[in-house]
Amino acid sequence: MLYVKNLYKSYQTGKNKYQVLNGVDFCVEKGEFVAVMGPSGSGKTTLLNCISCYIPFDKGEITIGGTDLAGLDDAGLAHFRNTQLGFVFQDFMLLDGLTIRENILVPRIVQGEVSGEAEELADRLTALFGIQHIAAKYPAEISGGEKQRAAVARSLINNPLIILADEPTGNLDSKSSRAVIESFGEVKKRMDATIFMVTHDSFAASFCDRVILLKDGSIYRQLERQGERGQFQDQLLIAIKEMTE
Amino acid sequence: MSQTLTMKKMEQRLQRADRKHAHLYLFCNFTALMIISAYSGMMLSPTVQTTFPPGGDSRKQMNAIFILTLIGCVVFTIYAAGLFFRHKSRQLGILMALGASRKRLMPGLFREVLFLSGFSCTAGILAGFPFIWIIWSLFRLLLIDSSDMRLSFDPVCLLISFAFLLAVAAFSCLLAWHYLRRTNIMEVIREEHINEPVKEPGKWCAPAGCILLAAGVLLGYCTPIFYFHEVQALPPVWMNLLYAPAFAGLYMIMLHAVVHGFGRRKHAPYKNIIARSMMKFQGKQTVNNMIVVTLLIASACFGIFYIPIISIGTIMGYHAQPYDYFYHYRADQTLPDRESIETLAAEYGLSLKDWGEFDYITLAFGALTSIMEEDGKHWHDEYVPICIEKRVISEDTWNTLTGENIDVLPGTYLCITNQEETAYSMINSTKHITNMVTRTQISTQYAGLLHYDLMTDARGYCVVDNADYALLSEGLTDDWKGRIVSFNVDGKDSYPFADALFHHMVSCFDENCFTAVYHNRITSIRAEEQGIADWQAPDPMMRIDPAEADSLTFRQNWEYIPRFRILSMNDFLLSTSVFLMMFLFIFIVCILTVLIICYTRCQTIALNNRYIFDDLKKLGASPGFLDREVRSQCGSVFRVPAVVALIAVYLFFILLLYGNDGQLVYSEIVSLGACLGIEAALSILIYGVYRVTVAGIRQKLGIFL
Repeated sequence: MLYVKNLYKSYQTGKNKYQVLNGVDFCVEKGEFVAVMGPSGSGKTTLLNCISCYIPFDKGEITIGGTDLAGLDDAGLAHFRNTQLGFVFQDFMLLDGLTIRENILVPRIVQGEVSGEAEELADRLTALFGIQHIAAKYPAEISGGEKQRAAVARSLINNPLIILADEPTGNLDSKSSRAVIESFGEVKKRMDATIFMVTHDSFAASFCDRVILLKDGSIYRQLERQGERGQFQDQLLIAIKEMTE
Repeated sequence: MSQTLTMKKMEQRLQRADRKHAHLYLFCNFTALMIISAYSGMMLSPTVQTTFPPGGDSRKQMNAIFILTLIGCVVFTIYAAGLFFRHKSRQLGILMALGASRKRLMPGLFREVLFLSGFSCTAGILAGFPFIWIIWSLFRLLLIDSSDMRLSFDPVCLLISFAFLLAVAAFSCLLAWHYLRRTNIMEVIREEHINEPVKEPGKWCAPAGCILLAAGVLLGYCTPIFYFHEVQALPPVWMNLLYAPAFAGLYMIMLHAVVHGFGRRKHAPYKNIIARSMMKFQGKQTVNNMIVVTLLIASACFGIFYIPIISIGTIMGYHAQPYDYFYHYRADQTLPDRESIETLAAEYGLSLKDWGEFDYITLAFGALTSIMEEDGKHWHDEYVPICIEKRVISEDTWNTLTGENIDVLPGTYLCITNQEETAYSMINSTKHITNMVTRTQISTQYAGLLHYDLMTDARGYCVVDNADYALLSEGLTDDWKGRIVSFNVDGKDSYPFADALFHHMVSCFDENCFTAVYHNRITSIRAEEQGIADWQAPDPMMRIDPAEADSLTFRQNWEYIPRFRILSMNDFLLSTSVFLMMFLFIFIVCILTVLIICYTRCQTIALNNRYIFDDLKKLGASPGFLDREVRSQCGSVFRVPAVVALIAVYLFFILLLYGNDGQLVYSEIVSLGACLGIEAALSILIYGVYRVTVAGIRQKLGIFL
């Protein structure tokens, strides 16, 4: 589903050049829920932004569902982003002037039409994530957890190939975090969705099938979940400790 | 509802929700266009165009300040647009992140900015004219109302306003396009948090800036004067570039203010450190804005100082007049005699005293004159024995008129000047005086100055020995002879009497006498004798229209303008009303622009840093501490440009007044005192707006003391 091959990305600040991604290679299979973890500055968010095509990368190859993103022009990229990718951001990125239901429908509105089918899907998604009671409210009127669940619903409105999530629990309390991360699990189970998530939270990562540990712009280690979530979280904590020592 | 939600409708909903962010943008566009249309409307109005002499300093000053105001408006319009798009960029970024292509977003965004800029600018243009009308009417109602002040507009002024409207719309679309074409969507989303830091200069920056500022002003002002006198040529235009170091100095002072701030911090190095760091990271625009504000305050003061400078000296001169009524006329004219004036005075319940009548003659004086070379740039000085026309009285006449007892040596002459010795008509190079009818000529030499304010005008009077006077007046026809009349009113004077006498006198002169005081008959005679064209003949400036007897042009330029104290004092403001109005208007417009720029800049700094204020609150900062940080930032934006501009323009004015005649006379010192008063009043106004701005920001940031 998602193939990242030999990815390089650097930032230039004045005369100084910082290498952030240093030849990253990995793939994510369809229906897989994968997290990327790593210390601050390891390149997690940069990796996600490159995959999302929000920022250009220096070298390498990214293909999603067989499409090479580097070969797309602006319009093609925008279309691909709209129809094949779903996004969940740390700070929700909901539009303040629209209701929650309308926010969920934004990717369809961007396409140019909101069909009855899309509206039904929006209603089903609000029901699935337990936010139907706030569907007519505005973002400023609801909690952070509700906003993030609305963002997850929005990411699914176009039935994308993959959902890309950037620290989705980063701004939430533990209860809301659990609700959001469980909603990802629900999506994976019911819709066979592929999810790629960047997080620093071992609790959130422990819900995943696989975790990629990133250190100094390179993959340090990959861990696959085999067994209970709690055990997997313990494994993750040990691996992270080893990585940072 | 969402069944009908299309892209267009969604954009409209978002625009409605964003309206509050658009307020500042709308306000700035509106104000910029109102100021520009009002200024151009006023500047190009037929009234102002006919009053301000073409090529004159006042017109140049008006045009230069207009350009500066235009720059000021451009600055705050650009800034407001930038601020609007910073808010807007998050929304654009989210839509782009969710797959909206640039092509898809562009029409909606262009529609929005074109609507906002078109609406606000059109409203501003329309408001500009009532704005002029209100100021004009208030001026006429509260200060001066004169026949010169006819409010009329030239439709050409609309071209400037519409050009600016188009520029605003084009710039907004360009900015929209710039945001949309960014490839890094995360940058678009986080645009609000992007800073614009400046490079940190050393502590030498402000002192070096002050030196450059002073050097630029001195070089720019003094070099052309030096060049004029030493090279004997008109200073080339490029010499204006010598002012350039002043601008560099100004930039350095503002940069220092933004990066380091002023004041000693040896004992409290961390004082206002947060405010300074915030300022530093918004540095580029802040420094630019502060420079424009400084120049605008300086322009405003330059405009408004015109009023005390021209009025105080003149009014003091009227008070010092030894006679209430003083006038002269050519001997070939029939003016009302003493009896008829006394009869007229009686009609107004007045009686006259101290009546005096004196003869004068008009002669040709030789003079050192500047002859322009063929290149039109250089000249050389040459003595011309028959050169300019001067009025001459005998030493006896002088002694009778003034009560002095002077003895003028034969073959010498004395020039009459005012007490402050600032009259332009003084001449000290004469070697010959000639009777233009008989061509009798005597040799003479300059013997010094006499002081009598009422006998100073562009033509000027001289005093000669009685025998020389008798010799030179022999054979003169009446058109080269004249009479001076002076008298006082016994008791309180009457304006209606003075006005009636003035208009009656004007009606008594024949057409030949309505010439400007700087019209020189000698030039015409010499031209005729040499068989060349008289350059004065076709010049309309040399003729004065008696129908415009109440106008400034008539009262300033007519050769035989009588000096009636009560009339002069009352009509001074009337006759200069259009000038006063224009410079007052310039002052209002410049200060309005300054206050808006400072207000928007402070809002921007505070709002862009609201996250820092939130963090400081979380770290336990007290409202008092936060308030100090807000005041520190706003204080720099308001205080530094105001202090620099007020000091610089004041010193520059002292330099100008001193440079006029190499001295500061009493009336100039009094005028400078009045200018200081204006600066104090302006400082209070700026401080008031600073307080209002700080209060507004405090409220927006949720700082409750």
